[in-house]
Amino acid sequence: MSSSKIQELKKNRQLNYKGKKNQLKYGLIFIMIVSFIYLYLFRNNFIYSIIWLLGLFIGFTLQKSRFCFTASFRDPIMVGSTSIFKAVIIAFIISTVGFAIIQYKSLGGNIDTDIMKIPGQIAPVGVHTALGAILFGIGMVIAGGCASGTLMRIGEGFILQLIVLIGFVIGTLLGARHFEFWDKLFISKSPAIYIPHYLGFPLSITIQILVLIILYYIADWYDKNNNMMAM
Amino acid sequence: MIKGDYMKFYQKIIKKPWTYVVGGIILAILNIILFWFSGKTWRITSGFLYWGMGILEKFGLEHSNWYYFNVYGNELTKGKTFFNNEYTILNLAVILGALIAALLASEFKWKKIKSKKQLVFALLGGILMGYGSRLSFGCNIGAYFSAIPSFSLHGWVYAIFMFVGAWIGCKLLFKFLL
Repeated sequence: MSSSKIQELKKNRQLNYKGKKNQLKYGLIFIMIVSFIYLYLFRNNFIYSIIWLLGLFIGFTLQKSRFCFTASFRDPIMVGSTSIFKAVIIAFIISTVGFAIIQYKSLGGNIDTDIMKIPGQIAPVGVHTALGAILFGIGMVIAGGCASGTLMRIGEGFILQLIVLIGFVIGTLLGARHFEFWDKLFISKSPAIYIPHYLGFPLSITIQILVLIILYYIADWYDKNNNMMAM
Repeated sequence: MIKGDYMKFYQKIIKKPWTYVVGGIILAILNIILFWFSGKTWRITSGFLYWGMGILEKFGLEHSNWYYFNVYGNELTKGKTFFNNEYTILNLAVILGALIAALLASEFKWKKIKSKKQLVFALLGGILMGYGSRLSFGCNIGAYFSAIPSFSLHGWVYAIFMFVGAWIGCKLLFKFLL
């Protein structure tokens, strides 16, 4: 490589570095913008203002920790690494405890309430769950990101993820359009199963946390034997 | 002294990436706080459907004619529209939160699409995820990250089959993209 070319590369690098340094300013401008939106929401809709704040922290955390659910499933298969998967399990252990307390308080200890009235993400389980999950799993690997990863990468400047978002909108519309078909075929025949209805609260929490801990150790063991990066 | 502390904070929290475990712990706590305050857990993809339906309604389609919007509590809550709802707030906030994190660490960069193939896979992947999320009542967040701690069995079934899907996806990726 000629020395002039090296000089040019050095110069480019410095330019990049300068460009990088400047971004802090833009970051602060955006913090101001989101703060104004927060104040506006705070005055008009208190719950929205909290959701807004939490969403900002979620996005911030996703970006800072490169938290990628796609990678948590893909890396064990492709490179044998389970480090993100283990982090997801730790998140599950914490949220299991938190969610249990919220549900218990909201139900006033009476868990035999109608399943529709239990707060949280409770939905019918059946063939449709498996089908949807398989489609989602394929989609997230070939698109290179799941729902949260897509939002996070749009924030980082990936134009590709805007295309994924357009795909998402089209896909959800098609899915909703065909929903009657799937409902009559599978969903309407499938029950929603809330585990504490069968095992009670204390046992459900204990078993779930135990399963998660076992999964953690299996993932850890798998990583030690298969991780290509660590070898 | 104070300036030194500030620099340390800046280097550690803002500039350097966090570990996955720290990320996982914070996300779990944020999801719990969200559930506590709003009564609803973190969800994403229904918000994408709402945006799509909002656009279609601009072209004269009526959502109430759709079977989907009449069952399983999919009806729009009173006082909300397809653009003005908690999903929009949350999804936009996640994008802006990530943007701010990237800018403060000077990591923001417009990254262009590399090839036609990549574009097709991105669009196809998005469509598959969107369609799948309607079948399974949620995405990797609604039917997994928020469903397992809700003690709903479908969260666990979802997890297992998302793994199967990811495995198929990896095979496809090796075959067509790499």
